[in-house]
Amino acid sequence: MHVKEFKIKWGMVIDIDKCTGCGACMVGCQVENNIAPMTKSDPYNYAQALTKDRDDASNKLRTLTWMNVYELSNGKAFPEHETAYLPRPCMQCGNPACVPVCPVVATDKNEEGGIVSQIYPRCIGCRYCMAACPYHARYFNWWDPLWPEGMDKGLSPAASVRPRGVVEKCNFCHSRYMEAKNQARMDGEDPMNLSEGAYTTACQEICPTGAIHFGDLNNPEHAVHELHKSPNAFRLLEKLGLSPQVYYMSEREWVRKQGDNYNAGGSGH
Amino acid sequence: MSVARRAFIQMSVGATVGILFTPTVWVALDDVSIWTQNWPWIPRLKYGEVKSVPTVSKMCDSGCAVKVRTCAGEAFAVAGNEDNPLSGGGVCPLCANSAQVKNSPNRIKTPMLNGEEISWDKAKEVVAEKLDAAGSSVAVISGDQNGTVNEVFSALLADKGSDAFYMMPCDMQAADKAWTGLMGGYGQIGYDLEGADVVLLAGADALESWGPTVANLKAFAANGSGKFLFAGPMQTKTAAVADKWVPVPAEGMAAFTLGVAYYVLQAGMTVDVADFAPFRAMVMNDYSPAKVEAATGVKADRMAAIAKQLLAASNPVVVPGGSVAAHGAAFALNLLLGGAMKAVPEFGKAVSTAMSRSEMLNKDILEGVNADLLFVYEANPAYALPEQVKAGFTVAFDSVNTETTASADLVLPTLHGFERFDDLASPYGVADATYSLGVPVSKPSVNAACAATFVLGLADLGFETFEEVLEAKAEAVGADMDALAEGGAYVAPGETPVAAGLAANVLGKAAVPVKGSGALGLVPYTLLNVGTANRATTPNAPCTISNNQLLGDKMVVMMNSATAKQLGVGVGSKVKLSGGNGECEALVQVFEGVLTGAVAAPLGMGHTVGDEFSKGKGDNVYKILTVSSEAAAGASTWAGSTVNVAKI
Repeated sequence: MHVKEFKIKWGMVIDIDKCTGCGACMVGCQVENNIAPMTKSDPYNYAQALTKDRDDASNKLRTLTWMNVYELSNGKAFPEHETAYLPRPCMQCGNPACVPVCPVVATDKNEEGGIVSQIYPRCIGCRYCMAACPYHARYFNWWDPLWPEGMDKGLSPAASVRPRGVVEKCNFCHSRYMEAKNQARMDGEDPMNLSEGAYTTACQEICPTGAIHFGDLNNPEHAVHELHKSPNAFRLLEKLGLSPQVYYMSEREWVRKQGDNYNAGGSGH
Repeated sequence: MSVARRAFIQMSVGATVGILFTPTVWVALDDVSIWTQNWPWIPRLKYGEVKSVPTVSKMCDSGCAVKVRTCAGEAFAVAGNEDNPLSGGGVCPLCANSAQVKNSPNRIKTPMLNGEEISWDKAKEVVAEKLDAAGSSVAVISGDQNGTVNEVFSALLADKGSDAFYMMPCDMQAADKAWTGLMGGYGQIGYDLEGADVVLLAGADALESWGPTVANLKAFAANGSGKFLFAGPMQTKTAAVADKWVPVPAEGMAAFTLGVAYYVLQAGMTVDVADFAPFRAMVMNDYSPAKVEAATGVKADRMAAIAKQLLAASNPVVVPGGSVAAHGAAFALNLLLGGAMKAVPEFGKAVSTAMSRSEMLNKDILEGVNADLLFVYEANPAYALPEQVKAGFTVAFDSVNTETTASADLVLPTLHGFERFDDLASPYGVADATYSLGVPVSKPSVNAACAATFVLGLADLGFETFEEVLEAKAEAVGADMDALAEGGAYVAPGETPVAAGLAANVLGKAAVPVKGSGALGLVPYTLLNVGTANRATTPNAPCTISNNQLLGDKMVVMMNSATAKQLGVGVGSKVKLSGGNGECEALVQVFEGVLTGAVAAPLGMGHTVGDEFSKGKGDNVYKILTVSSEAAAGASTWAGSTVNVAKI
């Protein structure tokens, strides 16, 4: 398997022992990336009586959560029970499963930084990539995005809105990357050697415990460079060989073990 | 002209061939397929200068210090404010969605009198008339725990000769009743979670919903070596990251705390107060570990281990949540340990006739409110306390439609937090006195006004506008208005707490666990993304609400497998919970992080008024809470609520 390497590798190290699962990152992500609130009724649907309602946020199979927080359990009964929360953005794999299956090259990993792209106008909505992604990081727009009346006034300038029928996913707030590079150029600095904190994602910025660390995994001046080598660091489904650029950290052994549950214990399927 | 057969066939073939070769038909078909699938409405992005403007957001109970991100002057997102210790760069999930709430169609657009739109002038006439007629039978319920707007409302009450100022039930109130009321202490209790080396969260869900949540989370993250222990009936999100979860029933929290104090006293710790000897005797006789174990189910060696950890620490702190007794017990334990509990001095008043914070917290809303004229400020008592509040005429100030505005006689739209001046004075729990100012970021988008300025127009309180009041407040605080407006906070260090006594005789009686008569203990819990007593969930938050709280439109309650087995229910069973004077419907989820014999239910759902994100979603757990009187402490509490659970 070929892992694509880049000089700059944007990555995250998420400290599960600091995550309370509050959901601020999920809200921050939706706001930054213009993910519309899920609404049942569509005021622009003039044949409402003939059609069924759209899905609301209770249907978790239809929500668009580029950043999603999962609850983990150690599986033990009361009182030995423990829980942990695991925020899951796109893993920006080094060897992404979604890229080779795309029939229209709407998704690719080819830019310095190693962020897996998603080109919405090119996407034909076949959802092969969703089937291929073992992290469930990709989402399909089952409905046109719809903001309740007046709420489209406050759209974020960071991301165009996507119509129904296309797949979307986390792109590490790519427009912030472009802005950071532009800022560096304006300041006479090297855009290919951004300092720590010059480029941040919305989820990392808003996280109240700073559980999400973000930076260039290859840059020794960025905290993630050391953090991702910590003995407590792990990646999800490591054995699949997709080489994610998102790492997790936990002092709890049961959490680390669950990170690679596909081949738990090495016995395999 | 007659058409011969041959001519007809020639024409038909010609037409068929012609149709095949003309693009018109195919283009039309293509157009039909495109146009019938077209997006009826395409949201357009607005581009322009992106700025970050500091202000405060009061969606959550304690309030967040934020930076509002604007594009071409329009607020679109919220980020933390690194310069302010209340935020340190973080935001809570409620305030994170504040910009969306500002533009929500659920905003109240104009003053309404009994459902009729009226002008602000007319509203002022109506309120002035009612105020004259009501005499001193005027009351205020405030949903704001730490704003100077409360000074304006309480000064209005003082002007009318009333002291009926109520806050929505909060831990700050229980803390004040215990500290100022029972123990004769000075200042507002705070907890230095960053500086402490052992933190025992005795019922305070500090990393999810209690106190200044974001500041707590920052302190937790910054406190690298500190040990956090969480005691409570449920493995909350705080417990998920704490080093240890100690299952303790809510009604047993005071007894558990005194059980820990037993070992601390045994180790020879003392406090220099008049009633130390009776306090010691009370704990040693009535709250011996064996007795506490029998009353609460918490093992004696567990308490011994916790006491050992607290005693070995150089700067320990116990953070209480729940009843007045639980607060009193924790304060006594903190005084014995001499750790990171602080007494935060109150800032000077802007309005001289206003009440102090302690006076504002004096009246207990759970005991009922009855007045001829009631002002409700950004609170939702009709949702959270439907039975307690009665009034001849209700004036509700809020920015969005709620159960309270729907049932009020007069509804006055307040400016959204990003459209107005506001402030945050020492939210309960902060270790240092902290003052932050909020300034308008956006222009008002509806016909709303500043509630405090409206009230200043009703009586001569010495100010014309709320902005002037805040200027006076900044002066009283000793802060620089310009520095505050730029997002910095004024901070004065918390002091060492000094109490007149340990309230030995009251605590001894009040700490006895009292439980309702229902079959199961009820563990109500708050998640900020689900909402608070005053604020419903926000447009983008429903995606973040897990299947452990809401499934479809049904509320989900959690219990451990032993409890589920006892009840004969399993995952997905439909149940009815009855308690207090109400009932709730829910689905069962098995979660091993709940005490055996208890059921955990999320507060904040089941709204009957509001937008589609909250209305009709889940059920209202406030309906099944039981108010019990803490007779000894002279207060009321929801701790010890029980329910009966029936399968349906």
